[in-house]
Amino acid sequence: MGGFSFAAPLALIGLASLPFIYWLLRVIPPRPREIVFPPTKILRELQRAEETPSKTPLLLLLLRLALAAALVLAMAGPVWSPSGTVAASSAPTLVALDDSWAAAPSWERRLSAGAALIESAARSGAPVAVMTVSETAAPTLSEAARALEKLRSALPKPYFSNRRAAADALAAFARANPKARIIWISDGLAQGEAGAFAKALSAAADSGARVEVLTDDHAPLALAAPANDAATLGVDVLRPDASAPGAATVAAYDAKGRIVGRTSVAFGASLRARATLDLPVELRNDVSMLRIEGENSAGAVALLDARSKVRRVALVGGAGLDDAQPLLSPVYYLEKALGPFAQLRRARPGAIDPIQTLLAERPNVMVLADVGLAPGDTYDALNRFVEEGRALIRFAGPRLANASDDLLPVRLRRNGRVLGGAMSWETPKSLAEFDATSPFFGLSASKDVSIQRQVLAEPDPGLAQKSWARLSDGTPLVTAERRGKGLVVLFHVNADTSWSNLPISGLFVDMLKRICAMSGESTPLPGDEAAATAAEPQVLAPMKTLDGFGVLGAPGPSAQAIQAHFDGPASAEHPPGLYGAGDAFIALQSLRAGDDVTRFDFQSTGLASTALASGAPVDLRGALLAAALVAFIADAVIVLVLSGKLRLRPLAAAAGAVIVLVAPLHPQDARAESDAKPIAVQRDREAALTTRLAYVVSGDAKIDEVSRSGLEALSKALSMRTSFSPGDPVGVDPAKDELAFYPMLYWPIVATAPQPSAKTAAKVAAYMKQGGTVVFDTRDALAQRPGDAPTPETQWLRDFTKGLDIPELEVVPQDHVITKTFYLLDGFVGRYASGETWVEALPPDPKEQAARPVRATDSVSAIVVTSNDLASAWAQDKRGQPLFPLTPGGARQRELALRGGVNLVMYTLTGNYKSDQVHVRDLLERLGQ
Amino acid sequence: MIRPITTTAYDPAGGARIDGAVAADLALSLPRMVHRAHEIAASVAYGAHGRRRAGQGETFWQYRPFTNGEAAHRIDWRRSARSDQLYVREREWEAAHDYFLWMDCSPSMAFASSLAQDDKLSRGVTLGLALADVLVRGGERVAALGLTAPISARDIIDRLSRALYDDARETACGELPLDAPLRPRARVVLISDFLCDLDALASRLRRFADAGVAGALLMITDPSEESFPFSGETLFLDTDGGPAFHAGDARTLRAAYAKRFEAHREAVREAARAFGFLFLQHHTDRPAAEAALALVMGLHGIEEEL
Repeated sequence: MGGFSFAAPLALIGLASLPFIYWLLRVIPPRPREIVFPPTKILRELQRAEETPSKTPLLLLLLRLALAAALVLAMAGPVWSPSGTVAASSAPTLVALDDSWAAAPSWERRLSAGAALIESAARSGAPVAVMTVSETAAPTLSEAARALEKLRSALPKPYFSNRRAAADALAAFARANPKARIIWISDGLAQGEAGAFAKALSAAADSGARVEVLTDDHAPLALAAPANDAATLGVDVLRPDASAPGAATVAAYDAKGRIVGRTSVAFGASLRARATLDLPVELRNDVSMLRIEGENSAGAVALLDARSKVRRVALVGGAGLDDAQPLLSPVYYLEKALGPFAQLRRARPGAIDPIQTLLAERPNVMVLADVGLAPGDTYDALNRFVEEGRALIRFAGPRLANASDDLLPVRLRRNGRVLGGAMSWETPKSLAEFDATSPFFGLSASKDVSIQRQVLAEPDPGLAQKSWARLSDGTPLVTAERRGKGLVVLFHVNADTSWSNLPISGLFVDMLKRICAMSGESTPLPGDEAAATAAEPQVLAPMKTLDGFGVLGAPGPSAQAIQAHFDGPASAEHPPGLYGAGDAFIALQSLRAGDDVTRFDFQSTGLASTALASGAPVDLRGALLAAALVAFIADAVIVLVLSGKLRLRPLAAAAGAVIVLVAPLHPQDARAESDAKPIAVQRDREAALTTRLAYVVSGDAKIDEVSRSGLEALSKALSMRTSFSPGDPVGVDPAKDELAFYPMLYWPIVATAPQPSAKTAAKVAAYMKQGGTVVFDTRDALAQRPGDAPTPETQWLRDFTKGLDIPELEVVPQDHVITKTFYLLDGFVGRYASGETWVEALPPDPKEQAARPVRATDSVSAIVVTSNDLASAWAQDKRGQPLFPLTPGGARQRELALRGGVNLVMYTLTGNYKSDQVHVRDLLERLGQ
Repeated sequence: MIRPITTTAYDPAGGARIDGAVAADLALSLPRMVHRAHEIAASVAYGAHGRRRAGQGETFWQYRPFTNGEAAHRIDWRRSARSDQLYVREREWEAAHDYFLWMDCSPSMAFASSLAQDDKLSRGVTLGLALADVLVRGGERVAALGLTAPISARDIIDRLSRALYDDARETACGELPLDAPLRPRARVVLISDFLCDLDALASRLRRFADAGVAGALLMITDPSEESFPFSGETLFLDTDGGPAFHAGDARTLRAAYAKRFEAHREAVREAARAFGFLFLQHHTDRPAAEAALALVMGLHGIEEEL
């Protein structure tokens, strides 16, 4: 929805001039064409026929009318306002802006919509007031500029703004200005007393105000209840309704803002989904912030503090672990209690010194269940462990009760006391409420917990400060003491159920969790001297707070300290963020664990909401003037063309030039692709038309050049000596090029070349199967030693042919047809004469028949392996001079090398034909008879 | 879409361009014309070669048997003494004529429309030069009217083109052939578009006829001049400097123009006929060799008649 308005509507009267312009254009024709014409004299002698001026072409006429209309419209100053602008009135206008975090993602659009409203009000001279729903002051009407200023300075808040105060202020405003126009730019969420505000709006509407509600389609997503448990890092992702995006991506950032992990979560049909990040513990402990990607609001951010770090806890039990009766083992209860939030480390059964072994794994917390410590290495190591800042939790038990070590917060009396036993008058004791100074403060001391037996502390001075938990009669149950940077905690009961039922209570888990969370903290403990004097509970000052967009920054002036176990919602006094100092801070989230986000139902309150349209009003004057200018230029061009002053052909050429200039903007690879294909096709076509020799491009330019010039010389020799005139040799890449066109492939082996891919090997194998012959030349005849390790080239060839289906090979026998296809040869020499040449083995000679002078298989050997470096022997320069010296040397060797090449090529081309030719004489004789 | 007919013209004397066409003048396009003329002459010479036949002349042609009734003085006694028959010694007909060629180089000739192959001027000059070559090969003497003396030289094309080139400025203006003194029995070939004053042309032809000169007129016409393929509002510019003609809609003028142009052509044809000149017509959208052949055959016909 939107609307046009004109700044100067009177100018529209100019449109009335269009018919006059139309008439003028009909009368005044375009400029005539000019034609050079020799017999003009003859024309002049013609008597004048009636001369009706030709008419202005209709298209030109329309163009000119459009030009005129555009000019007139531009004069009128049209303005297009995308946001719902109703007819201007001078009634006072109130813009109420929701400023909770849910508005943050579309904050700019909200502001621009608000600004558009204020501007439209300003155009009609109405006073404007702006209020954000988090403020409590009554809105005051002012001029538009001031209202704009206020609007621009508004920022989203990182919590749910409570609209109740704003609703009261609104009601007061509506009473004062009954005819006011009230626009609520709502974030669409029910949280933050949207109902109360909507009710106030309805009331205002009933008393005569014009009420509009603008909402954004954007559904704000939120994170709640981040938890770093033993297995995964999880967080709840919330969405307001089912129309919101069905999936979200949650990224985890460390303290330096680097992304540690990322996971996506799908909502399915529900409004709440649990995103879990499966990361190693070390990485998970580095995560300081979770954030929904693409949502720049405080609600989409979850902060992680030291409490949510996963601790590595080492467990050592005094008694040998009895797997058969786990319920009797204290370690079993500890495992169950610690497992959900800590990573447990147990010593291997039968380890000689389990404590030392586990210390090597550097746990955060060491739990010793009924273990007595004797002075020694283990004791020293544990002492260091604690003083370095870790926590040691000890449980009492029969062994500890009789031991005497001092890695305990208190001195113990020999033997404990038994409560409620057969030999006792006393009943089992329950827990007393926790002191405010205790770390356990806030946990409810369950009355179900009963202690039957405990060890007793010597009533030393300071025992009260060291006690974190007491029994109902005041005897300490849990005592703790700082040692160096670390902490030693003693439970005066054992960890199984024989002394108390504490280990099977939920309180036990919470107590352990709090102790684990304190490990590594340097915050003063209640038991310490400094804190002991402070009477009130510990408070944590704001360190960093989130702003509405979800960015951590310095806390604002209104931020106040929170108590250590603050559980209230985030608010202006306690904005979400990090509270505390140093490394020991706690995080206050924008949303509490149980919070929901739900879409506010405007229908139920009788308010109609319209979607927020973005964009300031568009002044169309510039566009209209530009259109008029374009029309003017087009008109001039058309007139010139019509009068023959301007030829269309140069115009087309210019258009072509533009296209040519634009063409290089096409993606590079697309062009490369289209270029490469025709080249390959062209080469294949030529290769198919003219039989030619081919070599495999090795990638070594020098060797490729030798191969090329060698095959060129061989091709020349072939066309001179034989009836076969091959085309120019061509280098092929088996990985890319089609091989089917080449009868013979010369393949010089380069040991440094990478092995061809399996696909390439399959291609070569197919080529060989289909009748092609590959001549592998290892070029290493001089380096080869019988019985020695294979040369690199030979090894390369072996590796390559491993993947091919190679038949049995043999050294070329004297009677093989390959030695007789053109010349009668003894062997194939190249640059070297010492190397052997291998071909596919022939079937054994049939014994019963007379020895034939020539043997051949039915097909051509698909593989010829030589080490004599044939191409180097063939290679010639342009003047026909050989390029390389031969070993041992001589013109004869060069000639023999060339003859060998001729024979190879003729063999690949004619196959076993020559083996039949040896019978020609017999055949002729027979025919003669 | 039918492309509108466009026309181009240039100043044959060289200088400022008349129209949007590339500036050109006679001198610039002469080499091309000379080349074309050689080609056309070669093709036409094969089509109708010269008059190798008996006639008045001095070189021996043939002996033929004496026929009764002939003058006895024609008997060649030296030849007749060698046999019983009487022979007459015939000499080759050596009736060398002086041909005076005039190629109109006025601005109205330097015009071509997009329908034509060539502009009228280069077509006319090419034809004239080719005709000169053919005539020289046939044993005639050829001159450029008012520029050179009659001469029979193998390089007649080059000589005439040189003369045209040298005198381009003077010859480029005249719409009518120069009133040069001509010998009797000379031949005049006028190549022009004859878009000139008809009375002046007739009086010039009369003077030629009075001097006992015969010849031919080749009228070169651009197809657009005949078909008038223009439409719409058009301003017609005269090449000869006359006032422009504004046509409200050129299409409506087509019929009247065609009639008027035809009348003009008929008048030229009538004037030629009246003074014993051959009238030939050539359109520049037709091949030049066609006109050259017609011209050569036509001149041949004149000789036969006389």
